[in-house]
Amino acid sequence: MRIPLREQTWNISILGLVVGLTLWRGNQLPVFGSYEIKTILLGIIPIALLAMGQSLIIIGGGINLAIGAEAILINCITARFSEGTSFSTSLKWALIGILIAALIGAATGWVISKSGIADIVVTLATSFVLIGLALFVQPGPGGGVNLEFAQAFSGKGDSFVAPLLVLFLPILFIWLPLQRSRIGISLYAIGSSKDAAFLSGVNVARARILLYTFGGVFAGICGVSLTAITQAASPFAVISNTATLNSVAAAVLGGVSLAGGVGGLFGPALASLVLYYIPTIMLGYGIDPAYSQIIQGALTILVVLVGGLLRSRGK
Amino acid sequence: MKPSFAKSNRSMIALWIILIITFIFTGIVDSYFFSIASIGITLQLAAPLGLLAAAQTIVMLTGGIDLSLAMIATGAAYIVSVKSNAGLTTALLFALVFCVLVGAINGISIGLFGVNPLIMTLSMGAILIGVFTVGVSTFLRGSSRMPEVLVTLSSGLIFDPITWPLLVWVIVGGFVHFSLTRTGFGRVIYAIGDNAQAARLAGVKVWQVQVAAYVSCAILGGFAGIMLGGQSGAVAISLANSYLLPSVAAVVIGGTSIMGGLGSYSGSVMGALILSVLSYLLAILNSSEAFKQLVYGGIVLALAWVYSSISERK
Repeated sequence: MRIPLREQTWNISILGLVVGLTLWRGNQLPVFGSYEIKTILLGIIPIALLAMGQSLIIIGGGINLAIGAEAILINCITARFSEGTSFSTSLKWALIGILIAALIGAATGWVISKSGIADIVVTLATSFVLIGLALFVQPGPGGGVNLEFAQAFSGKGDSFVAPLLVLFLPILFIWLPLQRSRIGISLYAIGSSKDAAFLSGVNVARARILLYTFGGVFAGICGVSLTAITQAASPFAVISNTATLNSVAAAVLGGVSLAGGVGGLFGPALASLVLYYIPTIMLGYGIDPAYSQIIQGALTILVVLVGGLLRSRGK
Repeated sequence: MKPSFAKSNRSMIALWIILIITFIFTGIVDSYFFSIASIGITLQLAAPLGLLAAAQTIVMLTGGIDLSLAMIATGAAYIVSVKSNAGLTTALLFALVFCVLVGAINGISIGLFGVNPLIMTLSMGAILIGVFTVGVSTFLRGSSRMPEVLVTLSSGLIFDPITWPLLVWVIVGGFVHFSLTRTGFGRVIYAIGDNAQAARLAGVKVWQVQVAAYVSCAILGGFAGIMLGGQSGAVAISLANSYLLPSVAAVVIGGTSIMGGLGSYSGSVMGALILSVLSYLLAILNSSEAFKQLVYGGIVLALAWVYSSISERK
């Protein structure tokens, strides 16, 4: 599938922004070696994975306001049952966690297509249910994971190879094959127009269930990565809400149109770097992190506004 | 378009049945619930939610949504409490200016520049959290206590089970209901929610209506926030946070379509009442936070589903 020129321009400008911010951040740090790269990668992995899951769902014409809660639930499940276990048990629970996330996604998609209630309403309600479940599994902060398993995710010492793989393997093995398959095309099709897709013979209900299932897989991987990186679980609604907000912001910054049918997963992955840099750079100057929330919100609005103006001019 | 009389009637009956079932069930679990005093308290606690639902109803009828509503409410309450030593009128005026300003920014961005309402208001919420977090220690330093008059208006008793907040809700809510059903403003709100293109071709200045809708939404949110502040006595930055989902849920349960153009405030009132009885029930069950969240989310989903399947049947 060829990427349209406008989308490329968008991704290139985001890339430019990321490079600029990286230089800025690099300038703040006394040394900028592989350890710093590793820190940055570990900081963006959860945001990026969640942003990719959200983007996938938005491309298919939906939106999942429970995606942060999905990740937190998987974080709690894996951290609770992997604490003090062997590598293989931790791995087993990680896989179970991703499977559970996929099932939750599938259930969400099923409810949305079966009930005909708007995506926002269903996912807003499920976000409560999932946080409730997370609190059942892990009533407070705690849990843990096998150390070797954590290192397999976050890398030993200064090496940043493992986190880089965690970031790119889902793109390589889930997104690229999916995008080229019939299912991927049907996701773009229902995102552009459900009616047109239906009339062209796409099974809209099945495509939507698959859409939310794949979104759930990304949320699941995000939850496992949270367990591996923080080696603990934190069942808080605040965290899941912020994560959801960030995932939507990264998707929008990454060139995914909220109208559906437009965009990819590379843009949002890059954009999550921007979301990571803004508070980090400000903290580096000793500025109250509350300001970064203002800037991030304003930036998101500005991006959507400019994007909308460009799109209407292009017509 | 407003639903036909028979259809909207059937939906209202369904809402009444759901309300009565939750009401009786709560009474069976806790016999004290049937007392006049506890009904008064439930209605008093339902009032701010009812006002927030009114705000959300207006923007949802235009096909939008306001996810910054909780922070607008908190902000208004905060401003009133901090500025109250300069006099009540000044404080309320400051809060009004704040609400109009935020509502106008939301409305202009959405109506004139075509920013998606979800993104616009979600980001506005984040911006407001940032502004007030910073403000608490800088330009908004001061007392976080609400003025006595507002505390009385938010939680004072007139005679059992009628409280001041209930009276405020009835007056303001009645005004909203009247505006939506009997005035030109209400008509164009339904019109642009149903089909913005058609409304524009019929001569409606769509963006102006949207600005008016978001400003009214913000002002109603301010009312609700001040009431919440008065009920808790002091204002914290998380004052109205937990009311955001219920405000959307009340409207959805009440049968207003999130796509716009379909629904009514009377439905949202029923939604707000059902949710208030429900939260009373969850409170007396003395259950864990986990259980409360689980049940609340599940019931909102189930009610929305039941409602949509009832009202879709021809």
